[in-house]
Order: sequence, then C-alpha cells, then structure tokens
Amino acid sequence: MDIILNQYYLQIAVFVLVNAILGVSIYMTLSTGQLSLGNAGFMSIGAYTCAILTVKAGFPVYLAIPIGGIAASFISVIIGFPALRLTGIYLAIATLGFGEVVRVIVLNLKVTNGALGISGIPTLGTKISKMMSSLGLPQSFGGLSAQQTSTLLVLLVLLLTLAFLVFFCTRLNRSRVGRAFAAIKADESAAEAMGINTTFYKLLAFALGALIAGIAGGLSAHLTFFIGPKDFAYHRTVEILLYAVLGGSDLVVGPIIGALLLTLLPELLRSASNYRLMIYGALLVTMMAFRPQGLISEETVRYWKGKLGRRRNQ
Amino acid sequence: MKKGLTKWFTGMVIGALLLTTAGCGGGSAPAANSDSKGGTAKIGVIAYMTGGGAAYGQAIKEGLDLAMDEVNAQGKVKIELVYADSRGEKTEAINAANKLINKDNVVGIIGPTLSGEMFAAGPIANQAGIPIMGTSTTAEGIPALGDFVFRNALPEFLAVPQAVEKAISTYNLKKVAVMYSNNNDWAVSGYKTIESTLKKNGVQIIATETFADKDTDYSAQLTKIASLKPDAVMVSSLYQEAALVLKKAREIGITVPFVGTNGFNSPELIKIAGKAADGAIVASPWFPGKQDEKVQKFIGDYKAKYNNKVPDQFAAQSYDALYMFASALEKAGSTTDRQKLRDNLASVKDFQGVTGKFAFDDKREPVMDATVLIVKDGQFTELK
Amino acid sequence: MFWQQLVNGLTLGSTYSLVALGYTLIMGVLNIINMAHGEIFMIGAFVGLYLVTYLKVNIFVAMAGAMVASALLGCLMEVLALRPLRRKAVSHLAPLISTIGVSIFLESLALNIFGPQSQAFPTELATVQMQLGPIRITLVQIVILGISFGLMFVLRFWLAKTRVGKAIRTTAENIETANLLGINTNKIIFLTVALASGLGGIAGVLVGLSFNAVEPTMGLSMGLKGLAVLILGGMGNITGAMLGGLILGIAEVFTVAYGASSYRDAVAFGMIILILFIRPQGLFGKRQGGRF
Repeated sequence: MDIILNQYYLQIAVFVLVNAILGVSIYMTLSTGQLSLGNAGFMSIGAYTCAILTVKAGFPVYLAIPIGGIAASFISVIIGFPALRLTGIYLAIATLGFGEVVRVIVLNLKVTNGALGISGIPTLGTKISKMMSSLGLPQSFGGLSAQQTSTLLVLLVLLLTLAFLVFFCTRLNRSRVGRAFAAIKADESAAEAMGINTTFYKLLAFALGALIAGIAGGLSAHLTFFIGPKDFAYHRTVEILLYAVLGGSDLVVGPIIGALLLTLLPELLRSASNYRLMIYGALLVTMMAFRPQGLISEETVRYWKGKLGRRRNQ
Repeated sequence: MKKGLTKWFTGMVIGALLLTTAGCGGGSAPAANSDSKGGTAKIGVIAYMTGGGAAYGQAIKEGLDLAMDEVNAQGKVKIELVYADSRGEKTEAINAANKLINKDNVVGIIGPTLSGEMFAAGPIANQAGIPIMGTSTTAEGIPALGDFVFRNALPEFLAVPQAVEKAISTYNLKKVAVMYSNNNDWAVSGYKTIESTLKKNGVQIIATETFADKDTDYSAQLTKIASLKPDAVMVSSLYQEAALVLKKAREIGITVPFVGTNGFNSPELIKIAGKAADGAIVASPWFPGKQDEKVQKFIGDYKAKYNNKVPDQFAAQSYDALYMFASALEKAGSTTDRQKLRDNLASVKDFQGVTGKFAFDDKREPVMDATVLIVKDGQFTELK
Repeated sequence: MFWQQLVNGLTLGSTYSLVALGYTLIMGVLNIINMAHGEIFMIGAFVGLYLVTYLKVNIFVAMAGAMVASALLGCLMEVLALRPLRRKAVSHLAPLISTIGVSIFLESLALNIFGPQSQAFPTELATVQMQLGPIRITLVQIVILGISFGLMFVLRFWLAKTRVGKAIRTTAENIETANLLGINTNKIIFLTVALASGLGGIAGVLVGLSFNAVEPTMGLSMGLKGLAVLILGGMGNITGAMLGGLILGIAEVFTVAYGASSYRDAVAFGMIILILFIRPQGLFGKRQGGRF
C-alpha cells in the first residue's frame, strides 16, 4: 500500500492533475482552431489574484480560486476582443506578447511582491486537514500518515474538478456552442458565411480557456506554498502547448493524456534531465510532421470503439 | 453523457496503471525516528544541476563531494550523498524533496540552491520532520519557515550593510546611484538592503535603475546614471550581469567605485569583466586570499581535485555545511535520527569553517563575519 | 544625454533590425514565423566565437564561418521540420508549433554543448570606440548600423530587379502558380531559408561582439524582440523590418532614460499588442497579402 501511496508519488499525481487542467484550458481555445500562447499569463493572473486574496486579505480558499479564474477570464475578454478579429498566427503572437507583458507587470507591482513572489500560501492540504479536525474526523487513517491523507484528499478534490471539466466539455461539444466551435475550427470563413458569429464564439472559447487556466493557477498556488514570476515563464506556455500537441487537440482527453505523460516522464527519466528540453523540442517537431492531430484523435476513439463494439456484438 | 464518462474512466485507469507501474520501481516504507549507531548516514542534496544555473549546482556539488571524501576518510562518521536535481524549478524542488524524504529515506537535506525553491521545499521537509539546510539561499524569511529549516549562507541583509558602510566611510559618499536586476528575487532582496542601509546613513540615492537577468545592453541605464555624476554606484545582481555592467560603465567613462551584493563575489566576475572589475567592492565571508591555514588547505585540495579550479563561495559554503552535518551526526550518535540531527545542528556554536567562525542563532540564522573586499589588479583583496 | 541616448537607441535598434530581416525573409516566402530564428542567430554567434577563440581566425573569417553554419542549420530545419508540413494539409499553426519545437531543441542543445556561462570574444575589436562630439559610439556599433542599412537597400534591389529575386517574390505570392511557371520552388525556398539563416548567423556574431556576451539564452530574448519588430514593421516588409527595429530600440532606450527602466521589456510586447489591435499589417505593411 505504501508503495503506491508514497507521498512522493502522490505529489506527482497532484501535479499531473493540475497540468491536466491546464491542458484542458488550451484545448478549449484550440477547439475553435485558435492558438493561445498566453495561457501561462492567465494562469499567473489566477494564481496571483488567488494568493493575494488568501494571504493578504484572508479570503477562504474556495472563494479565492474561482475569483482568480474570473479575473483571468475578465482580462482575457479585454485582450481577446480586439485580438480575435485577427487570424491564427496573429492571435498566437498577440497572446505571446500578452503573456510577456503580464510577466513584466507582475515583476513590477508592489502587491505581487515582484521577483520575491508570495510565500507562505496556505496549502489545500493543510486547509483540508484543519477542516477535517474541526469536523471531528481523524487526521489519518488506514495506517497512512497525516500528510498522505491530506494529499490523497487534495487529489480527490482535483480529480473531481477535472472530471467536472471533462463532463462540461463533452456536454459543450454536443451543444450548439460546440458545433459552432467545430465549424469555426474547420473553416472560419465558411462558418462566418453560414451566419455564425465567429467573433463571439472565439471570444467565448478564449474566455473559457482563460477561466480554466486561472483556476488551475489558483489551485497550483495553493499546492506549493509559494509562487513567483519564474513559475509562469514562456517555457511553461510551451509545456502546456506540448500537452495538447502530444496528447491530441481533438478531444478533451487528449491534453489530459499529454499532461500525464509529460509530467511523469521527467520523473521517470531523471537521469536524462539534461536533455529534457531537447526531447520536448524534438517531440514537437516530430508530432507536427507525422501526427499533427496528436496521439489520441477522433479516429483513434472510433477505431477502438469499433473494435470493442464488434467484440461486444459477437 | 456515457461517452464522457467512458473517456474519463479510461483516462483515470490509464493514469492509475501508470502510477502503479512507476511505483513498482521500489521504495521501502519510510524509516521514522529509529535509532541506529554505526552505518552510513544518507544525506540528500537538492541542487540546481541542469539548466541555466547549473554552474551553481556544480560548485555546490564539488564542495560537498570534497568534504564528504575528507569526512569519510577521517572515519568518525560515514556519509553518503544522494543528489536530486531541481533544475531551479519550484515544482522540481518539491518532487526532489519528496523523493529524498519518502523514497531514499535520508536523514537530512542540504539545499535547495535558490531561495524560491526553498520556500516551496522547506515547508515540506519541515512537515516531515527532517532538517534541511540551504547553503546558498539568502532571501529573507527562510529559517522562519520552520524549526527544521536552517541556512548557513550569510543572508544579504547581514553582509551587504558591511560593504556599503565601509564604502561610505572610505570614499566619503554623499550621493550614489543604485542598479539591480528586478526579475531575480535574490537581487531584489539585496537591493532593498542597499536602499535601507543608504537611507540609514543619510546618503542620497540620485538614481535607481533596473535591468533583468541575462540582459546584455546597459547603455541606456548607465548613460542616464553617468549624466547624474554619482559618487559611487551600487549594484545588486548576479556576476554575469554585474560584469557586463562594470564593463560598459568603464567604457563610457564611469570611474567611481562600484559596490555589489554577493553576486560580485565570484572569480567569474573578474574573468568576464577583466580590467573593468577593478574597484569593485563586496562583503563576503569567503575570501580566497585569506591568510588562514584552513582556507588555503581547502583551496589546495579543491584545485587538486577539480582541475585547478578556484573554489567560489558556493563551494566553500557547501563544504562547511557538510562538515557541520558530520559534526552534528557525530554528536547525535545516530545516522538515522532526524530529530537528534536537527537538535545538534541548531546547537552549533563556535564552528570553524573555511568561511570563518560560524554559529546558529536561536532563529537558525547564521552568525558569521564578512570581510569587505575590493578588486585590485584583477584580484580580490581586503579593503582596509 | 539626449543625443547619446538616441545613439544608444539607434545602435540597439539596428541589432534588432538585423534579426528582424531574417524573420521577414522567411515570413515573406514561406508565410510562416520561424520561431527558431533567434536560436539560429545564437548558434551563429557561438560558431563565430569558437572560430575566433580556438581556431584563432580573424573576425571576418569567423563571420563567414558563422554564416555558413547558420545557413546549413536553416536548411536542415527546412528539410526536417518545414517541408513535411507542406506536403500534408495541416493547419496554418503547424509550422509555428514546429519551429517552436526547433527553437526549444536548439536552445537546450546549446546549453548542453556550450554551457550556460556568458562568453566573450577575445578580441580588442570589440572595444574600439570613437568620440564624435558629445556622442560615444563603438566601431562595432557603426558596422552594425552600416550593415543593416546596407542590407536593406541591397535586399530590396535584389528582390525587385534580379531574376532570382523575382522568382522569390513569385513563390512568396503563390507557390502553386510559381511551380506552374516553371520555378523550382523547392530550390527557391532553400535559398531563402539559407539566406535568412545566414544573415541571422552574421547578426549573431555582430551582436555578440557589440554586447560582448554570448550565451545560449540570447536567442530567446533577441528572437522575441525580432518578432516584435516583424509585427511592428509589417510581416514580410524589408523596410518595415529595418525601420521597425530602430523604432523599437529607441523606444526601449527612451523608456529607460525618461521613464521606468523596469518596464523596458514590456515595451516590445506592448507594441506588438498595440500594433495588432490598431494596425495589424504593421506600420509599413500593406493590407492583406502585402509582401516585399
């Protein structure tokens, strides 16, 4: 039991889930064919808003995180509205520029403490432990330490969040909004000609993506005690992009698998950490050259469903 | 509805399977506070070994390895170092800490390298009841993270005022310009200390300019500063930026003294800046020119082991840190008792290291002296 | 101080222009943004540095060597990362993502091979400076200014008047038509990529000399600035790349000189956002399909 529930692995699983949520955020914008290179910026807005609220203003965590997400979303609308009139590459560059501007602003504002970052952020784990003891529940059970229990519960919270997001995305895909997204992704001019208000839907996807990224930011701030501007650098955006590229951007489960693989790989290949970024770069190039739709695409799902379906029918 | 659930389920199953297979790689139950005499003490090290700041991690490793060899040869305590790379990233530092604590079952941790990493990894070690000591983390507030968190790196707010005040009195400074790297938490800390020391001594700050790590162009800031004619310029940054600043400053004709934070204290500064480094002032506990037997022997052994490389501050402080651990382990009489190690570390007083006399105060902050140095003819010499 | 700062801005800006010229050439012909251009620039700088330091050649040979190395690297990138994408019907984002991958790969490769330390050209050329009245300027900076202006005129002439130049412009306009007209588009693309990358390599050596600091992450920041100039000046517009670079350099320096130096990095990106919102084709670009 202790082998699987070792705190080391539990913590990695926590990171996997946060990265999975980030992957969903970029999936959201990619579902309309838009590439946002500024998701690290939205994540940082969510993280800082949330951390400032909990550390300096004493807000409870479950309030601060959604507020962080909404702040990120709000800013995304301001940026997105003029930017989405442009086509793909321009939006990508504009969001890249935005991400960098956010980074510089964060470095200079007093309230974000500049390069020193915000430390002493209460973690979700400690909050849950406190809540449990105030409810009278034991802090550790099943032979697990208090730390492992609280991390397990944090994992549960994250799993539920992720599950909710997946559920939401699948429902969305089936709705009118989802069909509009798909139409825009397939051919924007045609969609426009068919009377779909492309700007509105692109903005919606963009804002939703920012909301999710902001929430992921808020969550991650409360998992690591400390946030600083270095956590949200350009390289982070490229990592998030890689989740979607590797895992697949057609379906919501794609970036989740991508996040899983890319969070575990550095841990499994600790000896090759010198070459980690080289591998990432090579991966991006190869995926784009040989399988741009990612590991898991719609046809993969159809293929496996077909196989399983046939077996079931026999 | 079903499609979504199926996908989610599949995802979770794959995830769980992967986690399980990863877990089957081994790992025993964490040894709590069992006592055991003899045997080898496993000390974990979290260091910045790959990536942009790998030079620091490398220096730290070199100091630690040298000390470990010497301690093991002496025979009173046997130490094994388990290294974990943090790549200078907070999440990696957390993973490294977790791995060392839960998988490798170390008795103590040295590191991480950056203050930002310590803010994330320190609380974890503290919660797990394992002593952790930073050898290069100088930002404010680190030992305050918990009873198990130590540092033997002289924090900026103790070292910098010595350099600044010495410069003020030596050169009769009335107005100075200040520059710092504003995307580096450690440099920002240093700047704040410079600012408050100057204010305390009634020196006027006529300009405050910023730049960023890895910047290469300082002409704009320095031209502005030159036009204001300060008596001295104070710089808080790492050695690379500091060297480029010095070079450009001398190029455009700024000849006044430059006072720096710890970033100045590196042989790399002189290597990169060349003649421009003359007149650079810094306070540091590590001074390779010190006429002290211990220091010179350390330098000799280090050069012999590492291809004639002169040890820098990172190596010196990590070397001392390992000796501190060794002495504390010896006093504790156990190679696995984390609590005893922690208590014996906290009670370190009158430790004689290559960085001078050392003790921990009751807040686990270092009590050590710094020498104010100035670069003359390409060498660090003491500023008297 | 104003004049010196203006000169600072112009010299800084001309380094940006040099880098932006490479972006613009590739953008014009392949209609993609080569996010790896900054890294090619950086590797050119290192090749030049090592040639001077270890093979002890003079600076001009080093520049030639850097140009050749970068041109080769660019061609390699074209074959491995870009050509496969033209065969399939991929989204227009694919080349962007692919070149991001190349850039990350090259940056990490350089970190592993050359180490993270900043290295300097061991030559006295870097410090030769002249005093013209109240203004101080180094020889290297004058050279950079001269080369960028010179290149601007040379490239414009070449593209407008020569056969090869016209072939390039035709390919830029429409690859299929160019093929139909009998132009060997693959060769043309190779030529353009090699030229742009070679320019990047020379720029690397010059900038490395000018700032006297060569290190693996210089590609990232320079690349992003070059990107800003590309947008500012207009994608695919050579005059735009040249003048846009100067404008950005002056804007940055003046932000430091008369404003807050800590917002310096935001200037480039703030400009990108502003231009994209107000005038997406850039200051000198033409609406929809304006190339050289």
